[in-house]
Amino acid sequence: MRARVPIYALGVVMGLYGVYLLLSREGSNAGLVSAGTWLVVGVVLHDFVLAPLTLGVLFLGRHLVPKHALRAATVALVVLGTATIFAIPVLTGYGRRADNPTLDNRHYWIGWLVLVVILLVAVLVTTLVRRYSKRASPHATHS
Amino acid sequence: MKLPAPPTERSFTSRLHSAAVTARVGSVLGVCFGIAFVTGLISHYAQNVSHPIPFPTHPAWGYRVTQGLHVITGTACVPLLLVKLWSVYPRLFIRPPKGLRARVVELVERGSIGVLVASSIFQLASGLSNSAQWYPWDFSFRRTHYAIAWVALGALVVHIAVKLPIIRGALTTDVESAELDRPEATEQGALSRRGLLRATWLATGVAVLAVAGGTVPFLRKVSIFAVRTGEGPQGLPINKSAAAAHITDAMVGETYRLDVVHGDRTVSLTRHDLQAMSQRTKSLPIACVEGWSAGATWSGVSVRTLLDLVGAPDNTDVQVYSLQPSGPYRHTVLQGNFADDGRTLVALELNGEPLSRDHGEPARLIAPDRPGVLQTKWLTRLEVTS
Repeated sequence: MRARVPIYALGVVMGLYGVYLLLSREGSNAGLVSAGTWLVVGVVLHDFVLAPLTLGVLFLGRHLVPKHALRAATVALVVLGTATIFAIPVLTGYGRRADNPTLDNRHYWIGWLVLVVILLVAVLVTTLVRRYSKRASPHATHS
Repeated sequence: MKLPAPPTERSFTSRLHSAAVTARVGSVLGVCFGIAFVTGLISHYAQNVSHPIPFPTHPAWGYRVTQGLHVITGTACVPLLLVKLWSVYPRLFIRPPKGLRARVVELVERGSIGVLVASSIFQLASGLSNSAQWYPWDFSFRRTHYAIAWVALGALVVHIAVKLPIIRGALTTDVESAELDRPEATEQGALSRRGLLRATWLATGVAVLAVAGGTVPFLRKVSIFAVRTGEGPQGLPINKSAAAAHITDAMVGETYRLDVVHGDRTVSLTRHDLQAMSQRTKSLPIACVEGWSAGATWSGVSVRTLLDLVGAPDNTDVQVYSLQPSGPYRHTVLQGNFADDGRTLVALELNGEPLSRDHGEPARLIAPDRPGVLQTKWLTRLEVTS
């Protein structure tokens, strides 16, 4: 415990420096309020919207997705769910501007659909391969 | 009607809610946060007006790499952070302990975790929005993203110090071992822990591929969520258009002059004067803070040659002014070492053609290893104050 005191101290000093920077350099009260709002809203959205929503999707998945496909489908959910979240700024397209066609200039929803199709095919193929290999070697154990 | 009781930590029975997962995903997340922090500090310093330690002009692609890495690792943090938070989600519902002292200790720990989670989500969300030039806030992005980065890293260091024994324990036992688990966490779901880890690495790899093409040319086709295709007039994307900067025909017409000033000496150059001077051609990337970058070939007059016209001494900062009537980058500072580098140009041509209006016609600054926002377009004045 004592050996870790310098690490605590370093962390606290870094954090306080950040708070000092925020309070001293953020030009306006409106800026501080906006930053504070973003800090709180992010946590609230994660803890009370996104996480419960994920629990709900997993619950539905357990009842709706065929048992053999559940493993691959869960992997697909991890990939698609996280990708959809970091793609929100480009998928919503709020950064687009009529005067600059070189910005946010991909067909993001088509890209998203391509990702969905690739994941669906991957789920289908791995599920079929697993079923087939299980039948081919009935004594094999699978984790 | 009686409301159902709120969940407690014991309500979560999946084996995936385990320190074995948290420690492994957290280690990779910690490394990514570290890379994003260091590259972020580099970018912040590069944009500072004053450089007590000169920011290097070599290699020309340095900022392209560090800022590309900043945005790519930041994006990779999204799946890592979400899975990590998922693995510890039950801890949100721990009932407060009995006894004042225990409560205070718990409150402090929760507070520090709260700061860490809030600042982490803030950094990722604001960074991703900024890279798409979507600014749904009233704060200054650069200052606030920088300040909160210190808060996030400080909270992370404290967090690692607190959890060190658990991290060590988790990393030295098998990932599927139940040794460190809560007694309720026994439910075998569709995925094993190893399976969840593999899914997380896969999601992280997808995140990297989905955005890296913004700066890595051969990945452009596969980067479905990159903020740029890399295409644009004269083979280069634009960050701020002439229309957005309120550049008019009159400003760049017959009356256009580039004033080079040193104290009371001023040389006013027309477009034709600039074209008549000795031209240099350099291949230099343009690398923006949003993480996109692209290489290009620029031709024009070296800044040093222009400064010599007014007898400006070596290694002095140059005040650079744009024709744009307003905006934070109307006036920037070109540090002495950049001004003296022979590759720093007042460019008149891009990829063999006269600069288009959106690329800064009639003249723009281009220097090696420098953030794109400082590569001032529509140049009107270079001034060395004596």
